[in-house]
Amino acid sequence: MYALLSGLVKYMLQKDEYYVLILGLDNAGKTTLLERTKQLYNPGYAGIPMNKITTTVGLNVAKVDIADKNRIIFWDLGGQTSLQSLWNKYYEEAHGVVYVVDSSDPDRIRQSQEAFDQLVGDSNLENVPILVLANKQDRDGCLSVVQVKEVFNQSARRIGPRACKVEPVSAVTGEGIRPAMEWLAQTLVRNSKHRPPKRRDIS
Amino acid sequence: MEKQAVLGGRRVPGEVAVVAEASLDLQPATQPLPPRADAAAIALESQSCNWFSGLFSKLWSDKEVRILILGLDGAGKTTILYRLQVGEVVTTIPTIGFNVETVTYKNLKFQVWDLGGQTSIRPYWRCYYANTDAVIYVVDSSDRDRMSMSKSELVSMLEEDELKDAMLLVFANKQDMPGALPPAQVSEALGLSALKNRTYSIFKTSAVKGEGLEEAMDWLVNNLKTRQ
Repeated sequence: MYALLSGLVKYMLQKDEYYVLILGLDNAGKTTLLERTKQLYNPGYAGIPMNKITTTVGLNVAKVDIADKNRIIFWDLGGQTSLQSLWNKYYEEAHGVVYVVDSSDPDRIRQSQEAFDQLVGDSNLENVPILVLANKQDRDGCLSVVQVKEVFNQSARRIGPRACKVEPVSAVTGEGIRPAMEWLAQTLVRNSKHRPPKRRDIS
Repeated sequence: MEKQAVLGGRRVPGEVAVVAEASLDLQPATQPLPPRADAAAIALESQSCNWFSGLFSKLWSDKEVRILILGLDGAGKTTILYRLQVGEVVTTIPTIGFNVETVTYKNLKFQVWDLGGQTSIRPYWRCYYANTDAVIYVVDSSDRDRMSMSKSELVSMLEEDELKDAMLLVFANKQDMPGALPPAQVSEALGLSALKNRTYSIFKTSAVKGEGLEEAMDWLVNNLKTRQ
């Protein structure tokens, strides 16, 4: 009886942890997205003022409880060209990737797609779901989701059968983030046969 | 002061006392410690007061932020400390023991500990780990030969349980020197990508020229806000 109860309590206190990388070129809005996501899912969280966010040269870590039993741990890495060489060090342990694109910067969309192409071709990321976020949708004259999709469709062969979705968001206003993150959480659970989550007791 | 005493009472009292005495001999300017017998009593008392002090420190948010500056000898730790405090370059000698100063930045008070980095005194770093909010790890970017030694010291430091919630700032220092490695390469040499559960950032700094320190402090201030 005790074993049964303690097992139940343990189950109740358990969370599945998924690790998700936030990648993309520099100035795409990765850290802003992370801060906004933290604010959306932890109502009491004040966070860094949006205008104070600077270039990331290192790692930002954040734990976000998206659903009841699912916790996502985000790794937000720096996007500068010199720092992209560090991305693949995290691939093996990642359960998912959020790829942030600056839709208001059509000049660099090609460069962004090239970095993306390299990433999806990496064998350590096989079968890992990818969420592409067409960010900065609040800006005038930005590329639409359809246009961003068109460019990123060139990597279709490398994406293969894995789950991949392009969603319009604005990290600054917070628009579109919730549905995108919910899709991500569901997809991570569905993909858990390829990448099982880490079980952790929270007490 | 009191934190010191707590440390001495709860953990490795012998070691702490030795370090403290050594630093007293060499640097009379640093604060003296209470006798060891008192230290144990204070430790006991402070344990029961922990809850209250926790509450009060939340009420008065001007609690000092505790920062350690660590790194190999000759990395520039002491120069950074005084650059942060008085804003100028002071002539330094190798630190034996420690220097501790209060630095005020953007209305936040930082209690900054600069510990000596020589091989023989590195084992004493751990005596200062408790209650640390952030670690500034200073690397001499031009010292390629000792990069791996710097890495192993960093790795063993980060394994300590007492530092598991501390933020990490790596200063790729001496960027003014010819042949200094850029921050990405320093990051790679130190194996920073193995860090998965800690918020960290690397900054290119030149303590002598005062470059990069302000960015680093801004990052620290912003990220401290997100923690409570």
